[in-house]
Amino acid sequence: MEDSAFSEEFCGFIHTAIPSVSVAEVLLLLFKQPDRWWTLPELCRELPPDVNITETDAGICLETLRSRGLVEFDDKKLVRYRAASDVLEAQVRTLAQAYNERPVTLIRMIYALRDPKIQSFADAFKFRKR
Amino acid sequence: METFNFILYLMAVLTCLACTALLGRSYMHTGVRLLLWSTLCFVGLSISNILLFFDLIVFPTEVDLRLWRLFPALAGLLFLLYAFIWESEDH
Amino acid sequence: MIEFLSGALTLAYLIAALFFLRFWRRTADRLFLAFTVAFVLFALNQGLAHALTIYREPTSFIYALRVLGFVLILVAIVDKNFFSGKSTR
Repeated sequence: MEDSAFSEEFCGFIHTAIPSVSVAEVLLLLFKQPDRWWTLPELCRELPPDVNITETDAGICLETLRSRGLVEFDDKKLVRYRAASDVLEAQVRTLAQAYNERPVTLIRMIYALRDPKIQSFADAFKFRKR
Repeated sequence: METFNFILYLMAVLTCLACTALLGRSYMHTGVRLLLWSTLCFVGLSISNILLFFDLIVFPTEVDLRLWRLFPALAGLLFLLYAFIWESEDH
Repeated sequence: MIEFLSGALTLAYLIAALFFLRFWRRTADRLFLAFTVAFVLFALNQGLAHALTIYREPTSFIYALRVLGFVLILVAIVDKNFFSGKSTR
């Protein structure tokens, strides 16, 4: 996966829909089994072991994802993956690919977009700017 | 041993100046205010370290610059803390 | 006056270190970890130099703390520029 895959659109998607790595983990878990309806406890149980969030946090993540048109809830408070458009679907696919192939770059990008001023302090110490 | 101290203190001064230069350059390119305060912090630390260099290596017995060393360092850090408290993002 | 300034400076270094720690956790950038440790060393240097009522910083292990702090910062800068492909955690 080349750097060019981290396009403007993808960065924009990350900036608006993926405020943290936890949200990305939740989304990707749902994306892996797109036809399955999940309960909140199930979701928390099946997240990777190094992702440490409470059910409340998971609920907040899901609400963020719902407001971006990436997941849907049903009457019984179950949730599943559902991208509201093909464009979003493509972005989620790119996210999955980035997560598998360039996880460090992805994580840094998520945080850089969230904390640009702090990141600028760290970036100041690069001799050659990108 | 004296030469060793000389080199170590010189290295401290040069590192400080390098940080000042890098942060200052980045501020001029990006205009991010946090970088301005950070640059000023390292200016203060640089002055403090240069004075330390003079105090211990150049004039070890003639002068005591302790008070003069503390002021710029403290001022610099106050700039930095102000920047971190007010200018960094909150989540 | 010197006691006051020295104490204030020690505390300022420590608070700055706490901020750098927070930034490291939020950005996963190793540079901030280096700055955290460096500023803790500066705080120790400042605090110890005064606590041991050393009028000047002699050729003892105390100034080595300050030097070590700057070495760490240098290493972090070099690391960022020449080894930036590695993992950040």
